[in-house]
Amino acid sequence: MSDAVIYDRGYRAYDGSVGGRSVTRRAIVADGVRRILGLRRKTRRKLLPWALLSLALLMAGIVIGLHFAAGSISAAIGEGLPQYAELFDLFSRLALLFIAVTGPELIGPDRSQGVLSVYFSRPMTVGDYLSAKLMAFVSVTSFIYLVPQFALHLGLASLSADGFLAYLGGNLDISWKIAAVSLAFIAVHGGVLAVITSHVDRTGFAAAAFLGTIIAGRNLAEVIAEASFPGARWFSLLALDDHPRYVRDWLFDSDVGGVYALEAAGFGPWVSVAVIATVALGGALWMFQRYRRLA
Amino acid sequence: MDSIVSLDNLTHDYGNHIALDGLDVKVPAGVTGLVGANGAGKTTMLRILLGLLHPTAGSVSVLGHDALTDPLSVRALVGYMPEGASLPKDQTAADFVAYTAQMAGLPAGDARRRASETLFLVGLEEERFRFLGDFSTGMAQRVKLAQAIVHGPRLILLDEPASGLDPDGRVQMLELIQRLGSFGINVIVSSHVLSDIESTCDFVVMLDAGRLVRSGPVFGAHATPTVSVEILGPLDRFTGALSAAGVEHSVEHTRVSIVADGDEVFDMIRDIAASTRVGIIRLERRTLTLEDEFLGMTDV
Repeated sequence: MSDAVIYDRGYRAYDGSVGGRSVTRRAIVADGVRRILGLRRKTRRKLLPWALLSLALLMAGIVIGLHFAAGSISAAIGEGLPQYAELFDLFSRLALLFIAVTGPELIGPDRSQGVLSVYFSRPMTVGDYLSAKLMAFVSVTSFIYLVPQFALHLGLASLSADGFLAYLGGNLDISWKIAAVSLAFIAVHGGVLAVITSHVDRTGFAAAAFLGTIIAGRNLAEVIAEASFPGARWFSLLALDDHPRYVRDWLFDSDVGGVYALEAAGFGPWVSVAVIATVALGGALWMFQRYRRLA
Repeated sequence: MDSIVSLDNLTHDYGNHIALDGLDVKVPAGVTGLVGANGAGKTTMLRILLGLLHPTAGSVSVLGHDALTDPLSVRALVGYMPEGASLPKDQTAADFVAYTAQMAGLPAGDARRRASETLFLVGLEEERFRFLGDFSTGMAQRVKLAQAIVHGPRLILLDEPASGLDPDGRVQMLELIQRLGSFGINVIVSSHVLSDIESTCDFVVMLDAGRLVRSGPVFGAHATPTVSVEILGPLDRFTGALSAAGVEHSVEHTRVSIVADGDEVFDMIRDIAASTRVGIIRLERRTLTLEDEFLGMTDV
């Protein structure tokens, strides 16, 4: 007869440390970042986000490389290459696609797969859950805006005839302007996405609705704003994607976007700042109210 | 007897529909069954215990905490297994259970270790790195149970844990729940299958259309004074002989019920059947199950 014994490990109550709601929020942020990037998920979930992130870095590398190449030939050629404002134009489109692809994944599946009933049985509030999701969204999305911009900033500094530090010192305002414009783009897109993903469970539909609202909504708003009926100019404010661009051109003193419909309608950049804040705050409140009913 | 859950005049309505109607219940430590037909108010009651629903009236105390004013303290001590689908398809079992442990405040390292231990306990040690979307119903139920206990709660609320399982899976799930009870975890398990509750629980709370039918210990199936005999042959000849012998009885179709204690009644019935030349198809003392008790107390 064998001497082997089968041990039943049974169950042991947990007697380790237990953190508060900050631990819960950190866990949700970390999981949100993993979910956006498809980490610890099947390979097909990684493809699109990593392809778009790689493309963003590649494009940033190409632009910086062009600046280096042009710098060795002539400073005048370098001035004609894309700078901060132009780069925002490039990356905001990439970010729009990235948000459409990954944003609904962050919120929708928890609801459509019924996981909220498990999550909200933990010691946390709706505010904890949503603020942590927001943090995850902002962390990853800002990467697309900030990393290429600051890489360009450092690249231009190293090319500067005045020297690296002198360039950085002389352009201190660039840093906060990059951050402010990035925040403006993320706020508008995040606000719209919050409203859509609060109601649309299917991630594909949510992505299509998001892109439709931003792209088609902009075109539609611009067409209506040009109509001759009284009050038509107010419709220009519904061209949501124009607001962060308008703010960008205002801050960087550029005319990359030309004349915006809302500019033609007589609205100043502070109106765009107000609209951006309203969309972001409205989207967040909308989502909060929706989840208060669900949780 | 210390109660782990105390409901005082608990009432909840969804507009015109009254889901819970003035419940006064004290649930003792141990494994408790919450039974009732679909729509009886079981899930509503569990959600109120977690502080996820605010009742229209009444008060709720769970493990000494007020579930209405201090729901987060309640949830820190309680695990919950919902009834329906509630697993993310694109995560592995280990990742999901560890994540829910972290959501309960466990540090990441502890959460992963506890997730492994808990998945081992529910019999999923081999499958823990598989994606949940590929799990069978039985495996998914086990993962749901694992997440409910991973953070070491003092009380777990299980909403229809055996729902959708095949007979084997059902037995295994009920054994697991009994095992958790033997580890000292307090359990409240809801079910509309009364035999499941009868075989698993020490205490039962019966609901019908939101009203409390009974709350008390589960005694298991027990014998009653009624003997049932089903005969083959002329029924009137047999019942006539019973009446002649002074035996009180009632008749339903071909079945005759006789109220009598002791085993002598079986001999008497055999003798009367032999003398009246009728056959006996079945002869048994009736037992009262939880289901009989429930049906007797409700209008079902």
